[in-house]
Amino acid sequence: MLLSLITFLPLVFALLLLVIPSSQKCFIRWSALVFTIIEFGLSLFMLSKFEKGTAALQFVERIPWVPELGITYFLGIDGISLWLVILTTFLTPVIVAGSWSAINTKVKGFHISLLILETAMLGSFLAMDAILFYVFFELSLVPMYFMVGIWGGANRIYATIKFFIFTMVGSLMMLLAIIYLMYATHDTMGTFSASVLDFYELKIPFVAGDFMNPQTLLFFAFSLAFAIKVPMFPLHTWLPDAHVEAPTPGSVILAGVMLKMGTYGFMRFVIPLFPEAAEYWAWLFLFLGTIGIIYGALVAMVQPDIKKLVAYSSVSHMGYVMIGLFALNMFGVTGALYQMLNHGISTGALFLLVGMIYERTHSREISQYGGLAKAMPIYSILFIIVTMSSIAVPMTNGFIGEFLILLGTWQANKIFGALAVTGVVLGAAYMLWMVKRVFFGPAGPLVKDTHHPLHDVTLREMLVMAPLVVLIFWMGLFPNHFLDWSKPSIDHLVKTRDSYNLTETK
Amino acid sequence: MESAKPLIELVDLLAIAPMLAIFVLSLFPLMIKVFRGNRELNPYVTLFFALIGIGLATALTATLSGAKPRAYFNDAIVFDGFVPWASYLIYLVTAASLMMSIDHVTTRGRQFSEHVFLMMNSSVGMLVLVMANDLIVTFIGIEMMSLCLYILCAMSHEDTLSKEAAFKYFVLGSFASAIFLYGIALIYGTAGSTYLPDITQAIGPLLTTSRLFVVGLGLLILGFAFKVSIFPLHAWTPDVYHGAPTPVTAFMATAVKASTFIAFLRLFNSEGFLDADRFFTVLQWLAVLTMLVGNAAALFQDNLKRMLAYSSIAHSGYIMVGLIAGAFGDNYDAGATSVMFYLLSYTLMTLGTFALVAMLEKHENTVVSMSSIQGLARKYPVMALSLAILMLSLAGIPPTLGFFGKLFVFSAAIEQDMYWLVFWGVINSIISVYYYLYPVVKMYMSDEEPAEVMGNHMLTRFIVAATAILVVVMGIFSSPVLKAVQRSVVNLF
Repeated sequence: MLLSLITFLPLVFALLLLVIPSSQKCFIRWSALVFTIIEFGLSLFMLSKFEKGTAALQFVERIPWVPELGITYFLGIDGISLWLVILTTFLTPVIVAGSWSAINTKVKGFHISLLILETAMLGSFLAMDAILFYVFFELSLVPMYFMVGIWGGANRIYATIKFFIFTMVGSLMMLLAIIYLMYATHDTMGTFSASVLDFYELKIPFVAGDFMNPQTLLFFAFSLAFAIKVPMFPLHTWLPDAHVEAPTPGSVILAGVMLKMGTYGFMRFVIPLFPEAAEYWAWLFLFLGTIGIIYGALVAMVQPDIKKLVAYSSVSHMGYVMIGLFALNMFGVTGALYQMLNHGISTGALFLLVGMIYERTHSREISQYGGLAKAMPIYSILFIIVTMSSIAVPMTNGFIGEFLILLGTWQANKIFGALAVTGVVLGAAYMLWMVKRVFFGPAGPLVKDTHHPLHDVTLREMLVMAPLVVLIFWMGLFPNHFLDWSKPSIDHLVKTRDSYNLTETK
Repeated sequence: MESAKPLIELVDLLAIAPMLAIFVLSLFPLMIKVFRGNRELNPYVTLFFALIGIGLATALTATLSGAKPRAYFNDAIVFDGFVPWASYLIYLVTAASLMMSIDHVTTRGRQFSEHVFLMMNSSVGMLVLVMANDLIVTFIGIEMMSLCLYILCAMSHEDTLSKEAAFKYFVLGSFASAIFLYGIALIYGTAGSTYLPDITQAIGPLLTTSRLFVVGLGLLILGFAFKVSIFPLHAWTPDVYHGAPTPVTAFMATAVKASTFIAFLRLFNSEGFLDADRFFTVLQWLAVLTMLVGNAAALFQDNLKRMLAYSSIAHSGYIMVGLIAGAFGDNYDAGATSVMFYLLSYTLMTLGTFALVAMLEKHENTVVSMSSIQGLARKYPVMALSLAILMLSLAGIPPTLGFFGKLFVFSAAIEQDMYWLVFWGVINSIISVYYYLYPVVKMYMSDEEPAEVMGNHMLTRFIVAATAILVVVMGIFSSPVLKAVQRSVVNLF
């Protein structure tokens, strides 16, 4: 019952918010904050009950849903999904607190969307039935679509429809692949099943070098869905649009959690379900991932808009996650999982910080700033700490993740390893250059504007940033506090990739 | 000669008791009106009579549905698993359309009892069509249904488009009926019977040997295709759906499709199609083109009713996918189940969306365009949310009924390895997302002030909200629905 409770509690809270009159903005914000903190506490309770030393699925719940097609309501958690669930429940209260002044219209609708989105995201990480996963995966589009479309910027309609349709293209192909696998279980086991655990047992025929064979086609159907979500070059074009138009909290949740649904899909479905195809086509993903790293960094470098710069840095960072995954070795996959969490925290923090300055000046143009360090010292310190994390300076979380990924990629393929390292340099270049132009040098027009003096971060904003900064250092200094929980699962995934299966704890 | 057997027995009359109930009750308001010197009754009394008739028919169908499937009227009609399911759909649609009619400006006027009479008898025709076990009876059903519809389309007093729609529908519909009839003639000539089980038996051998039979079957299918607006006989749909009074459009778009597809399913319940590759190819491309034409044209519509008309063409294409999977594969039941499930989901979604359109029409000649619904969410949050849910369901977003409809149709086709067909289905689903999202954008995301004021139509509002709730609830609990469909498909004559 625990996982169901975690998944659907936000939905219940959303319904509770529904009865509060829309005019009580402050009350809605406070109740949403309390609700999401309760939810976070519940997930920590789950963490305390989580058994560390095993790769098996825990807290399993299984109820038939559409037994005619073998679809079950099947939830479970293991080392792969554990931290993503915690990340989601952790970021949501941060977002609620961070959107305190950013969202001023339709406050009630916004928080309801956010809570529904939380349910959908948690459901996707916890679902162990392919159709159930698909349901949550698609359902998460709807609140995000409203968030960008209602509270977004000037060009929001274009951005939100593009986001929706891009994701639909991939996920419908995945739906076909899931249906195919359901019939495959029917053929081998005699009964329909959409359970991922049963899918793992299937032996899907694979022909190396040929495109028209079941495993390769299924592999690409799933990969397309997740690669769009990640997003991997060249399917990333929806991301900058969505990020730029989305309101700050929308960007945080998009970068922080929703992109991870794609990389999580690779870890949960693509690699263990289609091991031969994943190994054979790994070069393609290493190649596109590396291009994504370098391309994302180069495009980020020339952005005049801070938010767009951060959006393109996401493309670059998610490229690291992709090459880590497709290095298909212990270091790479561990690094990828860690980098997923890091990216959630550091990019989420960057978007929050960009949002804070945007609220003050209503501009994100880099050229309008300069010398901000004098005007807003605490803000600048926070921004620079997060930048350090983003460019993977040692002692921050980013370093651990990128280092493991590069190590793994180097082991798997020296060329891509070397190319990926140049991405680190480029990453430092674009971030530090941006920091230099915004925070140092002569004061820009917006900073020296005496009619609208900039005030430094407020107490609320500090409280929003504090947990993120703490985590940046905590994860950078003691990675084992986090990785120990996931190690058995990652070990199991890497070592038994060709005959992957998952058991359930009793 | 077994002349001892009487022509009609009591059991026969019992089997058509639901139709009789509807027919008799539909006469009441009309007769009372005549005796009162052509003065219209209180419309709510008329509606009350109609709903009693439908309720009675529902009860009768429910009592009859327990029995074993068998044929009546010398095998002319059957009462089997298809019938209760389709009948309930027809009752639901008729009741809902009548409730919409009483609220709607074009239909509630001085001819309301005639309107009710025609609509109820159109549904009697649909019941005949659903139960028909003989092509002649099928034809009678189609004609009865259509003739009432032709008049219903023209019922709007001031709207010239209504007249145009009725005339177009009548001329083209008669043409389609002639084609259908010609098909029956050719089939009778070659197979020697109009009795449906005989024909489905004969399909296997005759498809390869008799070219005339193939032509006859093709014409028959074209006749059906016209009624459910399958490419290339879809062109009338947008004009007629647009011109007809909206409650009538809702009725046409849902009940006609449901009943005609059931008749379609009966015809295709034959093993003879198993290796009919050429038929398969042709029908497959008709399905693909239907989806493509419907979705592509819907992209460019500003008029909400026309957009929904094109979307209904596209949905016919999706239903065709399930139909083809059932007919040309080795698992007829799975195909038929998916079609029947889809019909339910399509009916609910379409009914709800047209009901909302009906509410926006304040006078005859109103055109409900995309700008009519802008900012609707601010003024009518419940209605806007309902329409958003219905639109997402039409687009097939889980966990709504529309998603499960598509899931079952696609999985029936994948079971038969019809990947090409499913591929096009998916491509079309993606295209359709764009235009289904557009009304949602208009309602929620536009900054302009709400353009339209809705009438205070309680019954119509109820329909919109109820369909939206049903679409979600039946989606989440789709298993019992699916089970019910599967049970009825197993129970065929």
